[in-house]
Amino acid sequence: MNRLDEPSVLLGGETAANALAAERRNRVPQFVRTHTDYYTRQFEHIGNRSGFTPTFNMMAGLLGSIWFGARGLWNWAVMFLIIEVVGFVQIARGLFGDLAAGARERVASIENTLELRRQQLASAIESGSDKIAVYERTVKSLEDNIGGIRLEAQAMEEQGVWIALSGLVVLFLVKLVQALVANTALERRFSDWLSDPTVRHGMPTRDSVLAAIFVVVILVTAMLHYSFPGSIALLSEFPTLPSIRLTAISVVEGFFSFAVLHGEVLFDAITRGIRLLLDTLELVFVQTPWIVIASFIILLTWLSAGVSTAIFSGAFLAYMGLLGFWDKAMTTLALLGTAACLSIIIGIPLGMFAARRPRFYSAIQPIMDFMQTMPAFVFMIPVIAFFGTGKPAAVVTTMIFGGTPVVRLTVLGLRGVPEHVREAAVSFGASKWYLLTRVDLPLAAPSIRAGINQTIMLSLAMVVVASLIGAKGLGEDVLEALQYANVGQGILAGFAILFCAMILDRIVQGARK
Amino acid sequence: MIEVSGVWKLFGDASEAALAAIRSEGIGKSEVLERFNVVVGVADVNLDVQRGEIFCVMGLSGSGKSTLVRHFNRLLDPTAGSITIDGTDVTALSPTALRSFRNKTIGMVFQNFALLPHRSVIDNVAMPLEIRGVNKNARLRQAASILDVVELGAWGNKFAHELSGGMQQRVGLARALAADPDVLLMDEPFSALDPLIRRQLQDEFVRLSASLKKTTVFITHDLDEAVRVGDRIAIMRDGRVVQIGTAEDIVMNPADDYVADFVAGISRLKIMRAHAVMQTIDAWQASGGSLTADAPRQPADEPLSTLITLAIDNDSPIVIEEDGRDVGVVTRSDILRTIIEGAEVS
Repeated sequence: MNRLDEPSVLLGGETAANALAAERRNRVPQFVRTHTDYYTRQFEHIGNRSGFTPTFNMMAGLLGSIWFGARGLWNWAVMFLIIEVVGFVQIARGLFGDLAAGARERVASIENTLELRRQQLASAIESGSDKIAVYERTVKSLEDNIGGIRLEAQAMEEQGVWIALSGLVVLFLVKLVQALVANTALERRFSDWLSDPTVRHGMPTRDSVLAAIFVVVILVTAMLHYSFPGSIALLSEFPTLPSIRLTAISVVEGFFSFAVLHGEVLFDAITRGIRLLLDTLELVFVQTPWIVIASFIILLTWLSAGVSTAIFSGAFLAYMGLLGFWDKAMTTLALLGTAACLSIIIGIPLGMFAARRPRFYSAIQPIMDFMQTMPAFVFMIPVIAFFGTGKPAAVVTTMIFGGTPVVRLTVLGLRGVPEHVREAAVSFGASKWYLLTRVDLPLAAPSIRAGINQTIMLSLAMVVVASLIGAKGLGEDVLEALQYANVGQGILAGFAILFCAMILDRIVQGARK
Repeated sequence: MIEVSGVWKLFGDASEAALAAIRSEGIGKSEVLERFNVVVGVADVNLDVQRGEIFCVMGLSGSGKSTLVRHFNRLLDPTAGSITIDGTDVTALSPTALRSFRNKTIGMVFQNFALLPHRSVIDNVAMPLEIRGVNKNARLRQAASILDVVELGAWGNKFAHELSGGMQQRVGLARALAADPDVLLMDEPFSALDPLIRRQLQDEFVRLSASLKKTTVFITHDLDEAVRVGDRIAIMRDGRVVQIGTAEDIVMNPADDYVADFVAGISRLKIMRAHAVMQTIDAWQASGGSLTADAPRQPADEPLSTLITLAIDNDSPIVIEEDGRDVGVVTRSDILRTIIEGAEVS
């Protein structure tokens, strides 16, 4: 018989097909360990249908997440556990919980006030005060209020049944789903296991015990906490130890004050080095007549990115000049240039060193992640401690944040150099130096240039933050605008920063072509 | 010219211990992997390559042929054994001496061309000379003359990646020849090319090497190519050399079933020579055959295809002569039998 919906087994492949089916069947017991006949039949049944096939696994339904955990289907177990907890908590809350507790508290507090007012009213009547009417009105309105809240509390208490019922429905539904999908999920795991024997199989005791403990602990604590809120203090609040925190703070502080005290020579040297470069660049950018700088920048963009980009950069420069941002933009460029230059000077050799030393690279990688993800405001504190406020500190902050891409992309680029090209060079007797300068670096150049670009852009993103610790420039304007909610100035200065970035980007990126 | 003796290459941390175990206990490849986590790349290879010959190393992927050849210029260091090229013990060279040896003595051609994409064709060809420190004008002149030899004279200023695959490999060959090395190592040079270009380059290479007379080690996984190009062929399997010989040796007397399977599909017409097809004069006369004076005569190393052409036109048997003597006779039935034997195997 030749059914159309079934691909006919190719001639001669019949035995192989049968062998595969038998192999699958024979290995089921090894996989499931318990109830082997049942699962063999179920898996066969699932395999015979296309699409999802509901089968009914009673044990999976009854035990729920414990079954899934014990079978090693942990992702299913966790998902089901969450829904089960919701169901159980609703039931417990509906049956045992004090639903009207909140309302009753409010009633009690109002009753106290009411009592007070009544006393006042009584004494007013005694003394014949003219405030009797006022007190009467107050008492009346409070009494009405209490009546309303009492009704509310009563309604809430009556809701308990329904809440418990809804929990029961949720629980029933999730059990049903568990029973229906259990065999399918296990069959899929079985197929995975056939190709990869390390996949969890059988019913390992460890998983079973773990699943049972896990489920029981979570269910019991959740039900306790929701049914009798506040009965166990440990459940509502994470136990803290204030002394640990204080000690930790003082240890960190001790470390930094030690470093500041003993690293003075080093930090002074770094500061002096940064200052030297910074002063030179500032001299170049700020002291040189604007017309020289502007024409130089336009020439540079024209050379690297073409005429149209040069015209744009001219327009950007005109914007900065006409709106009075020129000096500030140049200060920013000097600061940024210093940070970017230092990042590149350190970063590229570091990347070259790390590219062929995987262990070294994996050691510096977390440090670089740290540098890039740690909020700038956090590492600014120690930076200020070490370098004081001012431009060198701003340069260091910028380097910490923006210095990593050039290292990463240098490594990436060097690792991307095809091994056979390097091998060819070696086979012709190339020395290490030849290999590096004539093969590795030229082939990695696009990636390295992208890294430089990234570093410049990230450094520019730090302009405003850097101005917090005393770096003058465009960032200062933005910061000032922020402090006085000066929208106009802030946006104009922001655009000036953006234009700086675009000009730099075009100069670096244009050369990539 | 190239003498390889007892070369082993094992990959893995415990390669020394694994080699000791192989030598003392004779354990196999899979057991070595299991016990020492060491992969056997090359196992006890001995071979001699004569000066000026094209020596093919043939085997399927993973048989260790590329690994073996990479020892010749020490891109890989052998775990054990010695390699001598033109009297130089390659394994004993210091780093500096090794670089100069690679540069002057050996030229290598790679399967995936391995040209520098950011350089022009002529700069690629001049690379070995640049490494040697030859000045720019001299090395460009040399490169241009070599480019002319591989018929790419007009392409020198193009970038390598602008050329087609076949042309790129000619550049690769030119680069290997640029430093005028004594030895050429060719690592599956034509495998990445389409069949038509491959045939063309094989023929070109055979012509070229006939005039250049470089000692060549030619790696291939294609027996047809090995037969077409090689003077002698070494067949490798699982890191071992299982047979070394001329194409005819290997086709006629395969060392084992593996080689027999390998050569089964090869066309015998170009490989088989008269002396392998013929019956001796004595046997012919004993079976009552006679020789006519006008019978066609052919030397003993004439390929089978020539004999077939002759046999179509002549009814009389073909007399085979060697050193001026008549040594044997080939009849039509001999030819047909030879062909059918080849066909049965395949």
